[in-house]
Amino acid sequence: MRDEGEIFVVHRLLDEQILDSDGKRCGRVDDIELRGSPPRITAVLVGEALYPRRLPKRLRHLARRLAGPERWGANALRVPWEEFDEIGATLRLRRKAEELGLGEGDDPERWMVRRLPWN
Amino acid sequence: MKSVLKIALGIIAALGGFLDIGDIVFTTQAGALYRYDLLWAVVLGVVGIAIYAEMCGRVAAVTGRPVFDVIRMRMGFGLGLVALVASTFVNVLTVAAELGGLAIVLQLLFDAEYSLFVVLATVGLVIVVALLPFGGIERVFGYCGLLMLVFIATAIHQGPDWGEVAHGFVPSLSDSKLYLYFVVGVFAAALMPYEVHFYSSGAVEEGWDESNLRENRLNAIVGYALGGILACSLIVVSGFLFHPVGVDPTDLGTAALPAQGAFGETGLLLALGGILFCVGGAAIDSSFAASYNLAQFLGWEWGRYRGPKKAPRFTVSWLVFLALAVMIALSGINPVEITEYSVVLAVVALPLTYFPILMIAGDRSFMREHANGMVSTTLGWLYFAVIVVLALAAIPLLLMTNGGGG
Repeated sequence: MRDEGEIFVVHRLLDEQILDSDGKRCGRVDDIELRGSPPRITAVLVGEALYPRRLPKRLRHLARRLAGPERWGANALRVPWEEFDEIGATLRLRRKAEELGLGEGDDPERWMVRRLPWN
Repeated sequence: MKSVLKIALGIIAALGGFLDIGDIVFTTQAGALYRYDLLWAVVLGVVGIAIYAEMCGRVAAVTGRPVFDVIRMRMGFGLGLVALVASTFVNVLTVAAELGGLAIVLQLLFDAEYSLFVVLATVGLVIVVALLPFGGIERVFGYCGLLMLVFIATAIHQGPDWGEVAHGFVPSLSDSKLYLYFVVGVFAAALMPYEVHFYSSGAVEEGWDESNLRENRLNAIVGYALGGILACSLIVVSGFLFHPVGVDPTDLGTAALPAQGAFGETGLLLALGGILFCVGGAAIDSSFAASYNLAQFLGWEWGRYRGPKKAPRFTVSWLVFLALAVMIALSGINPVEITEYSVVLAVVALPLTYFPILMIAGDRSFMREHANGMVSTTLGWLYFAVIVVLALAAIPLLLMTNGGGG
């Protein structure tokens, strides 16, 4: 991070859209890792496996069964805080999404979309 | 000058695309049952969509954020997910209603099975989306939707008692549950959230910034006011023709009959053509709104301009939503009923998306000097109250009136 100033973590960072260095949308801030004392942001966590724990307690169990890591694989990525370039109007990475393993769900090879007629 | 022309053309296209199956079903029935009494509910709904669309367009232009981006940011994952699920359910139901409506109109024009036309209409829309560039699609459907102007001509031709029509703009309530159901229905049909979500995502895709704020305001005020006149004319022509004789237009084709009464075969064809393009355009908008919402909420790449290769999950989800809608349209439920459910449930889900937009539009840390001022704040909260009241009343009324069946 270039800017060492204050941010409101939940207001401004949690759930924010992540863009890579090309401006490609590659996930949202699903959780935030804090370490040290006083705590500092060390990483941003991204991935479907984090969704169940964002839900109220009662629903978590059900959500894990339907969409949890046991079923879909532990798809969660840890993106070190240093990888981020700016948190201004948008949250941008210094590198391309592919280099960090982000946005793999939007790999066209996965979806056979190359065969669609309007490519 | 060029930009004025561009804005004017945009508004004309939006006018042609304002009406959808929900407006047609609810206004025609409201006219037949209550003559001009529910005109005020159209005005209430049109002002509502203008306020909502203006805020969403302004947020999109200033922050570059479409509606479900804001919802995820402001409501978080859990509550935002509730808004997403509710909106998606309503959107898919709306797509099903529009596809069913297309099939009924095609049935009136050509003789074949309803289910065949549902499939043909869907395939036709996919081909249109695949082949035409996006700005082009909106304009084609928008301009052809202007055929609906035949309903304004019909109203003038019929020559109703204009004093009585004017009286319909004075709000009135009654203890008839069916009347209240139609207040909710006519209001909600004018304020279908998918139109606004589609609009705000389109603004982000076109790279709107602060220089588009004037265009945004004009779209909201002039565009929706003109669209509202069209919706009012549907009530007037139906009220003039059907109310005195007590016809209950449960069939979509009935909506086009007043134009035939006034202008013969030509009038009928113009009206059916107008309905076809309005409903077809609405099917495209509502299905894309569903994919926009999902992709924005989950942080996927999205966009019609990006194409399937750059936004595969967005494109695949669009095809899946379309397929679900086809299944609902073919399930044997009457399309008019699907329409009524989609409209009434849309207002139930609306507070969940309206509220975060109201919050962010007033937040100076995001909107700077473009945050809601005194007027926008007052109107915004006033309408939030109206929407919440109608959302709470909607389901009991739907059940008590047996879905408007009386």
